[in-house]
Amino acid sequence: MTRQLTDRPRAAVEPKPAPTPRARWSARTRRDFFVFLALALPNLLLIGVFTYLPLFNNIYYSTLDWTLGSASATVVGFDNYVTFFTSSDATKVLGTTAVFTLITVGGSMVLGLLVALALNSKIRGTTFARSAVFAPYVLSGVGVGLVWLFIFDPGYGVLAWLLRGIGQQSPQWINDPQLSLVMVIIVYVWKNLGYCAVVYLAGLQSLPQDVMEAASLDGANGFRRFVSMALPLLSPTTFFLLITTMLSSLQAFDLIRIMTPLGNGTSTLIYEAYLQAFGAFNRAGYSAAISVVLFAILLIITVLQLRFVERKVHYS
Amino acid sequence: MALNLDRRHFLGLAGAGAGAAAISACGGPSTGGSAAATGAADIDFSGVKPAASIDFWSNHPGKSQDVEKAIIEKFHAKFPDIKVNLVTAGANYEEIAQKFQTSQAAKSGLPGLVVLSDVWWFRYYSNGNIIALDSLIKQLDIKVDDFQKSLVADYKYEDKQWALPYGRSTPLFYYNKDHFKAAGLPDRAPKTWQEFGEWAPKLQASSGAQYAYIYPALAGYAGWTLQNNLWGWGGSWSNEWTFNCDSEESVAALQWAQDSIFKDKWAGVSSKEAADDFAAGITSSTISSTGSLLGVLKSAKFNVGVGYLPGGPKSESPVCPTGGAGLGIPSGVSKEVQLAAATFLKFMTEPENTAQFSAATGYMPTRTSADMTAVLAATPQIKTAMDQLAVTRVQDNARVFLPGADQEMAKAAAAILTQQGDVKATMTSLKATLEGIYTKDVKPKLKS
Repeated sequence: MTRQLTDRPRAAVEPKPAPTPRARWSARTRRDFFVFLALALPNLLLIGVFTYLPLFNNIYYSTLDWTLGSASATVVGFDNYVTFFTSSDATKVLGTTAVFTLITVGGSMVLGLLVALALNSKIRGTTFARSAVFAPYVLSGVGVGLVWLFIFDPGYGVLAWLLRGIGQQSPQWINDPQLSLVMVIIVYVWKNLGYCAVVYLAGLQSLPQDVMEAASLDGANGFRRFVSMALPLLSPTTFFLLITTMLSSLQAFDLIRIMTPLGNGTSTLIYEAYLQAFGAFNRAGYSAAISVVLFAILLIITVLQLRFVERKVHYS
Repeated sequence: MALNLDRRHFLGLAGAGAGAAAISACGGPSTGGSAAATGAADIDFSGVKPAASIDFWSNHPGKSQDVEKAIIEKFHAKFPDIKVNLVTAGANYEEIAQKFQTSQAAKSGLPGLVVLSDVWWFRYYSNGNIIALDSLIKQLDIKVDDFQKSLVADYKYEDKQWALPYGRSTPLFYYNKDHFKAAGLPDRAPKTWQEFGEWAPKLQASSGAQYAYIYPALAGYAGWTLQNNLWGWGGSWSNEWTFNCDSEESVAALQWAQDSIFKDKWAGVSSKEAADDFAAGITSSTISSTGSLLGVLKSAKFNVGVGYLPGGPKSESPVCPTGGAGLGIPSGVSKEVQLAAATFLKFMTEPENTAQFSAATGYMPTRTSADMTAVLAATPQIKTAMDQLAVTRVQDNARVFLPGADQEMAKAAAAILTQQGDVKATMTSLKATLEGIYTKDVKPKLKS
């Protein structure tokens, strides 16, 4: 006789009834949701009103032939975009924007890193030097622009005075379009390298000392340690700076406005948008189209950086 | 149970906000009507009571803030029921225009009275931003006949008066008397640029100044002052609506200017303000507005001479443009505000007040009956500006009626005078630009 082992028949498992929406949104959930709304909604509303509303307004205006100050406008679809991209302005403005952005981002970051390396050394006066290097970054762009205009003035500027001392004439920094761009780039890099220096300095001071010491024990010299160890370990800092400085360079306005109000040679996308709407032309629709182009470029750059550049970053 | 706010939920919320924003985006200008002027109809002000308070937007041309305040105080004494608030609405004509246009777009914050320059009033007219003053002139009995005729005519269009002259100027030839004396030159402005071309090397050799002459700053109003050179050579920026800035005469005028800098090397280009460069002794002479006269006389540490603008090989006179600003009344404010503003406008341009304004700034008195005896006794140089008015010429349409033309002219001048660009090619390119602006922005708004 075999004993048949049989399990006690199980009670049929009744499927649980699906929770009704009311059950899913229990009192606790609802309370949490209202807390969330109370905390987040004001901020979302602010972002909506001050960021998204102007953005959508701007996109709408870019489809109009609208003279600023005029109560009426004509819908022209994509005409403003076509006009911009088929005019010689587009090449000039995009070229100026590219030159300005690449040099100011590269200049600020390279010089900022060099300054950070100097400030990271244990020599006297580094505390004062750190403050001095960072100070221009927090100064008003308008004030900085006015002071540097005086320095660059070919008639009675400090630079002209120094050049005359060695028998040289001052270049026409302000009137010559090419030199105007050089002048604005110099001042922009001077103003912003302190920011890069401070961020790099923080990065340098947080490098793992054991790794650096190990490299040193292995016989790596200072240059080798910097290139093979410090730079890769600083890549998160570099990545952060690359995004922030590129975005701020593409949106640089105050120095350009103060130092070269005509925008002759210094008209970047953002300044061209300003000149077209609020300068002499009053082409609000055309200006809005240029702003949308700038927005698209900023968006693409940010996405590309996040998508591709971040992959090469070493976080540890 | 905790609330799970994942990315999808968050994006959903953000999307809802964005949707609301998109709906809100359906504001802005009306896309149904035309952009023609709306202030053209005569407004009936009968029975209207002036507003108790108005804003007066000024950029204080010729550093006139103090004298404007003084005239406003006199106005308050005479019209205690109307308060005028003087608002600094910009540092120059462009900034005040920017604020005015932006307020038009925002449909709020407009002043009762606004300073408008020679290149801006027509744009305000064509956008319907200012009212015709004719009915107010009649109701308040403003003596238009007593104004300088040519200055009043500058603001006339379609038989209507759109503004009245305020800080009106001409360019003047400023020279350092001490430098001229040291060089053995006569104590006067040159009659022609050719004559000055002969004087310049002597001036440069004896004065010690960097330049014998400095061209006005390009970012300022290069298009305004360079008309003098163009007209002297028989050229112009435009003749009516024909753009002839690339004509043989115009090219010759600017070629001569370029040579004075790069070939003969006695001239330079101001970077900021030619009058300041002159007062600082950097140059022996320059051309600048009459509105700079008092400032130059105060700051220069040498004897200042002023004279008419030099002529050229084709024309010795008239080669001087008028310029400066007028006063207009916005269309977007109430009739009460418009009437109060017109009352103040009338007072501001009364003969004694225009004389007071002239004495403080150097601008020309806009009224023929203004008693200038005391003013001229104190500053006799103002007489030169007043007399030069008789030999002025109406500005080229291209400069005063084309939006942004002044800036394009300045860029062309920069290419020629600072980069030694090819004059003919630069002017041909400028002509194409000006024609483009005319076709797009002006021609559709002109009355046939």
